[in-house]
Amino acid sequence: MLSADEAADLIEAIATRQDRAAFSRLFQHFAPRVKAFIMRSGADPEAAQEVAQEALIMVWRKAASFDRKKASPSTWLYTIARNKRIDHLRRNNRPAIDTDDWLTVFAPEDEDADKSVLAGQTYTRLKELLGGLSADQMLVIEKAFFEDKTHTAIAEELKLPLGTVKSRIRLALARLREALEKDES
Amino acid sequence: MSRHPAPDEFLLDYAAGALPDGPALAVALHVALDPRSQRTVDRLNAVGGALIEREPVPEVGAIDDAVLERALARLDEVPVEPRPAAPGGRKPVFDWAPAPLVPHLRPGMDWRRVMGKFDEIRLDLPGDFHRVSLLRLESGRGLPEHKHAGYEYTVVLQGGYTDETGNYGVGDFAVGPGDQRHEPIADPGEPCIALIVVENPIVLTGPWGRWLNPLVSRGLI
Repeated sequence: MLSADEAADLIEAIATRQDRAAFSRLFQHFAPRVKAFIMRSGADPEAAQEVAQEALIMVWRKAASFDRKKASPSTWLYTIARNKRIDHLRRNNRPAIDTDDWLTVFAPEDEDADKSVLAGQTYTRLKELLGGLSADQMLVIEKAFFEDKTHTAIAEELKLPLGTVKSRIRLALARLREALEKDES
Repeated sequence: MSRHPAPDEFLLDYAAGALPDGPALAVALHVALDPRSQRTVDRLNAVGGALIEREPVPEVGAIDDAVLERALARLDEVPVEPRPAAPGGRKPVFDWAPAPLVPHLRPGMDWRRVMGKFDEIRLDLPGDFHRVSLLRLESGRGLPEHKHAGYEYTVVLQGGYTDETGNYGVGDFAVGPGDQRHEPIADPGEPCIALIVVENPIVLTGPWGRWLNPLVSRGLI
């Protein structure tokens, strides 16, 4: 296992001294997880492995952009893996667009906002909070993240009224917000 | 803080990477201008991170050591990029453009007068089926009353506008089914600039619609 602090140290080691051993450790921890995550969207193991490898190479390239005060390593890695998945889907279906554009699109602009509290939240706490969601709420959240479906597509697939899916999402987010804000105060 | 934030379900769609490019750009611009929505997206990204950490690795995700070796071999050709400069290198001509819009603005792009009523810059997002435009409306001017199939997304980038559903200022996000006819009017003050993303095609519903719709559907206006 790799703690959030250890992972952040490793990313910083890449940024400051192109540390290849640090890259190997990050790769061993994250690449299999990203691969498993991507496979949930129905991707075959080879394609998922390709996406995971591309994501980790992006971690190397962009290591200097990582700011441990703003996001935890797993959060940062998620955003990179998500964009790589988008690139991958695009390659299969649509004309390519430069990944850097996507990093820009998804990069937060606000430099001043204090996100340090968020960065400090361990995945254990979030896991606990996710465990507190109802099965119905969790299903919708997982379909969004794992299968990259919009709420409209989820409603169609589950044959639920759009309003039902919206209210599940809003309730789930309200619970997360409430719990996280309590932690922060 | 905007008075009309993006609804949670669109922030989730965005954070999950499920939106097509046009709507994703609309949400990205709103998020760049609205700290509360930014915070929600940060939290959703953290949920994504937690879901990755939670993956049971030995069963599904196992990766051969050879794959790591191949990745290490590639690193020689991949430089570690220097930390990017803080935002601020905006193009002075488009000083109202939030950072996520800047990569889509190319030199030589300029406003084009449409139907003598408003100005437009059409953005080209390869492969997306949405019509993605920046619109500029002088104070007191309105867009022709129109409707269209599918969703319409609007994000205000400068000034503001008012329609039947309310008043919208910088950072505000509006999304709705395009089959509701509406007629936005720009507020007093500086011209209203907004990003508008619609699923094709637009149908004008005013008296001139019958004559102009064929031009709209051919992408001429």
